[in-house]
Amino acid sequence: MNLNIFVQHFINALSLGSLYGLVAVGYTMVYGILRLINFAHGDIFMLGAYFVYFATIVYKLNWFIGVVIAIILTTICGLLVDRIAYKPLREAPRISALISAIGVSFFIENFAVVVFTGMPRPVVQPPILMKPIELSGGVRLIPLGILVPVVSFVLVGALLWLLYCTKPGLAMRAISFDIEATRMMGVSVNRIIALAFGLGSALAAVAGIMWALRYPRVEPFMGMTPGIKAFIAAVCGGIGSVPGAMIGGLILGFVEIMSVAFFPTLSGYKDAFAFLLLIMILLFRPTGLLGEKLEDKI
Amino acid sequence: MKRTRNLLLTVAAVVLFAFFLDKAPELLNGYWQRILNLIAINAILALSLNLIYGITGMFSLGHAGFMAIGAYVSALLILTPAQKNAMWILEDIYPWLLNVNTPFIVSLVLAGLAAAFFGLLVALPVLRLGGDYLGIATLGFAEIIRILITNTARLTNGSLGLKGIPAHTTLFMSWGCLGVVLLCMVCMLRSNFGGVLRAVRDDEVAARMMGINTFKVKVIAFTLGCFGGGLGGALMGNLITTIDPRMFMITQTYNILMIIVVGGLGSVTGSLIGSVLVTTMLEWLRIVENPITIGSINIPGIPGMRMVIFSLLLIVVIIFRREGIMGMREFSWDIFFPKKSAKPKETHEDSDTVLEVKDVMLKFGGLTAIDTLTFDIKHGQIMGLIGPNGAGKTSAFNVISGFYKPTSGSIKFLGKSIGGLSPDEVCKAGMSRTFQNIRLFGHETVLQNVMTGARIRQGYHWWMSLLPFVFTDVLREDAAVRAQALDLLGQLGLADLAEETASSLPYGAQRRLEIARALATRPKFLLLDEPAAGMNPQESEELLKFIRRLRDEFDLTILLIEHDMKVVMNVCDYIHVLDQGVHIAQGTPDEIRANPRVIEAYLGKGAA
Amino acid sequence: MEAMLKIEKLNVNYGAIHAVRDVSLSINKGEIVTLIGANGAGKSSVIRAIMGLVKGKAEEMTYTSPRDGRAVSIQGRPAEDHVKLGISLSPEGRRILPQLTVEENLALGAYIRDDKQGIAEDMEYVYSLFPRLKERHRQKGSTLSGGEQQMLAVGRALMSRPDLLMLDEPSLGLAPILVDEVFGIIREINAQGRTILLVEQNAFAALKAAHRAYVLEVGAISLSGTGQELLNDPKVRAAYLGG
Repeated sequence: MNLNIFVQHFINALSLGSLYGLVAVGYTMVYGILRLINFAHGDIFMLGAYFVYFATIVYKLNWFIGVVIAIILTTICGLLVDRIAYKPLREAPRISALISAIGVSFFIENFAVVVFTGMPRPVVQPPILMKPIELSGGVRLIPLGILVPVVSFVLVGALLWLLYCTKPGLAMRAISFDIEATRMMGVSVNRIIALAFGLGSALAAVAGIMWALRYPRVEPFMGMTPGIKAFIAAVCGGIGSVPGAMIGGLILGFVEIMSVAFFPTLSGYKDAFAFLLLIMILLFRPTGLLGEKLEDKI
Repeated sequence: MKRTRNLLLTVAAVVLFAFFLDKAPELLNGYWQRILNLIAINAILALSLNLIYGITGMFSLGHAGFMAIGAYVSALLILTPAQKNAMWILEDIYPWLLNVNTPFIVSLVLAGLAAAFFGLLVALPVLRLGGDYLGIATLGFAEIIRILITNTARLTNGSLGLKGIPAHTTLFMSWGCLGVVLLCMVCMLRSNFGGVLRAVRDDEVAARMMGINTFKVKVIAFTLGCFGGGLGGALMGNLITTIDPRMFMITQTYNILMIIVVGGLGSVTGSLIGSVLVTTMLEWLRIVENPITIGSINIPGIPGMRMVIFSLLLIVVIIFRREGIMGMREFSWDIFFPKKSAKPKETHEDSDTVLEVKDVMLKFGGLTAIDTLTFDIKHGQIMGLIGPNGAGKTSAFNVISGFYKPTSGSIKFLGKSIGGLSPDEVCKAGMSRTFQNIRLFGHETVLQNVMTGARIRQGYHWWMSLLPFVFTDVLREDAAVRAQALDLLGQLGLADLAEETASSLPYGAQRRLEIARALATRPKFLLLDEPAAGMNPQESEELLKFIRRLRDEFDLTILLIEHDMKVVMNVCDYIHVLDQGVHIAQGTPDEIRANPRVIEAYLGKGAA
Repeated sequence: MEAMLKIEKLNVNYGAIHAVRDVSLSINKGEIVTLIGANGAGKSSVIRAIMGLVKGKAEEMTYTSPRDGRAVSIQGRPAEDHVKLGISLSPEGRRILPQLTVEENLALGAYIRDDKQGIAEDMEYVYSLFPRLKERHRQKGSTLSGGEQQMLAVGRALMSRPDLLMLDEPSLGLAPILVDEVFGIIREINAQGRTILLVEQNAFAALKAAHRAYVLEVGAISLSGTGQELLNDPKVRAAYLGG
């Protein structure tokens, strides 16, 4: 393996991993607060990509404006999902919300089939992101490969700033430990939960858009596998922890790309590695890499 | 009487239905026959997942994987060598596999067994995880199984799948399999073992205190459920005649999950109703995807619309009727007949010092919950353990009953050391307890709760319970447990409530039921954790008499924690006082009441 | 005098348990009122019903804010509204947030406020009441000792600048010397103009600190009077240690 190929793999793993991480952050925030696996999150990711497709290809908007509109629309969708399908079930047993999440996931996927049809659609790739750059040593890079991890890290950084340096962020962290105690401090819990859904959906939209740029196409079920893998990343990193989600995503990205890079014969098993890694981590560190220990009370 | 009547009605219904199936090919077209077949297969899958999730309480998302195993094993066993030679194009089939050929029925059993074997492999490591983590891990396994099938082309023909599987799944075959599964399941759920499963679901901690090895029970239930998954998968393959790895994605598991949620988690009847509804609905909704012509108007079909409507219905059901159609109830012929109630004594042996606690210390990290506690209890005593909030009383109970290991010190029960035993072992040794925050098996009836307690003395044989007509011991066992339980309820004045759901009882009765359940394990020593908590003065007055009666009638030794001082002072022969983990006083009730250290602990410094 | 908090016939049920029966009480501005009783008597349920954390049913539950003198019914409102009205609670078991630092816990207590200057002043005030917290202001809540956690819970409840401060078992699990300290601080807070409702198991200390007291026995009020009266009443001892 020469340097160029290695660098390609490395960049590839970095961008795939940071995309997983970006989606995983949304899972981890919602799970940390509500103990709910938001199965619809992967489909929110898909919506983000579709909205860009519509804005740019159907309505011929400028790509950057399209992206902004797509993020806003996706965020609204995320908020609606919480409001309609999860909020009525806050006091219900957790399984009810989980089934509701599965229902929402089915709904979004099939609604997308109805509205967008099941046919994959092409995506506009702004030329500026696709023109290879020549580096010394014969290494060639596509700007998109750099952009994806950079945007991801910046966004997760911004999220961490929000969580650790602002009042809503403080409330959000507090809610994930003790909803009632936080309510006693005068925090409107439902508003903070909505904020978590909104932020998670916005990040998923960004991830979906960048995902669509990498593969250049969109289709209604594109969120399923990345969604499940991102959830796995969140669990591996320690569910409830934002840095953990990012680390989990990166580990998953590297395992997936590098295993195939070094053992091409195993490429068919690529997806199995993610699950194997998950089961290993769960067995040896049941709460993930950065997760906190939870104890049962008698 | 009632039993014979119900049995006759059931047999009549089955005969009637068999007759219908026999005539079905003439009455129904191929489309409806296929739906009928699918209903039966989905019911088998739903029942098996319900056993794992609804009845035993293990959140599993791996059913599609076990279906895949079943479908492939069965298909590989019944395809002819000629078919196999023609199908494996990309890679050659393993030579040993080429000529394997078995009858359909044998392939079904082997399909189930193979799925059960993989289920067991998965269960042993993964069932130690709880809740959502278990769900994700099982989902992971199902995906791994699917990926393995895709990539082992010499075995499975990879992503091309298998075609031309003989359509062996006839109506009699699918409904016959469902009949057998249903019979086994109903018998099992009515036996000791079924009670144990529901106990594990409702409260694992309390179940262990009833002497149940919960891990073993969960592994058995999971493996049996996987058998059902494999069987269902095999039938499905032989109905559709084509299988490939994409058929067994997570959506397949979701479908089954929906059936059991719509029907009611934990209800066998619910799974059946759910299969009928969901299967028919999914098929019927196909009309929205096909073009329709009404008169001169053409409505084009809309692909995807079927699942949109279906998912909306699911969300509406879960938001507005989240317990599903049946909740946890079951169908019974009794609903057509007005009901009557039933009605129903014993002695024990002894030894002198029942419990000897010596220098027991319990620490959590740096926190000392109990600081060198030493005391012993003589046979027939009622001993009180009191102290202000946070004194370490419940911790002491948890150490004695095996939930916590003492950091140091020894505990001897009836002369034997029990320091490192687990709760179920401690229970079997003859100790039973109740909990501060009542831990009943809330979805079960009063009688079932007590029966779970009595089961520990009877044992529970899961494999026998599947085939009760072969192993008639199971029926006799069950009858014996029931009789004992009814007897006990009679003694404790709960007989009239035997068929009520435990969680619907008034509070005082729930307390008494929890004691009854503890007594059903025939303990020599009973630990009561705040029996009077939440009772009004009149109820606690009754409780006083009740506790004394328990000691006399059941020949018990009793240790109780209690905050209601009227109860403590009136019922206890001797009292130990803890304060912030330290054993500060002991004596008779009068001595304790006058003890300045006790008064200070309770009322604050200076109060004495 | 018009009561600041007036409760008529409060009842609280948890499923089949009737935890609070017809409890009526009133608190006047500037008072320390204590609600004492043995464990399980329903003290916490009363205070949690007042705060809106459990659903209680009362004939009347009126709070008159000293800020504008308006009387409002606080029944059926969510807890966050109570904070905005000027009621705050230091809950039983402290309920501090274990993974947040001392300073963040305090900042959370001031969540409804936006005056940075005022919040900073109040934080200094809490630190002056509890100098131990200042030393540990960057530590996580979970690393504090029980006594320090209790101080943090009280300090956090003060951060919303409440007019009515409710304290649920502030002396629970504290060493005797700390109990005295905590009660001293409660009196100090009261002297600075805050009304206090104190729920306590440690009857002696609470009665010494309180102007008035109610004794709760199995969910109902069995005795009430001034702190001094009850201090010498043998019936109080009977309520705890049985007659």
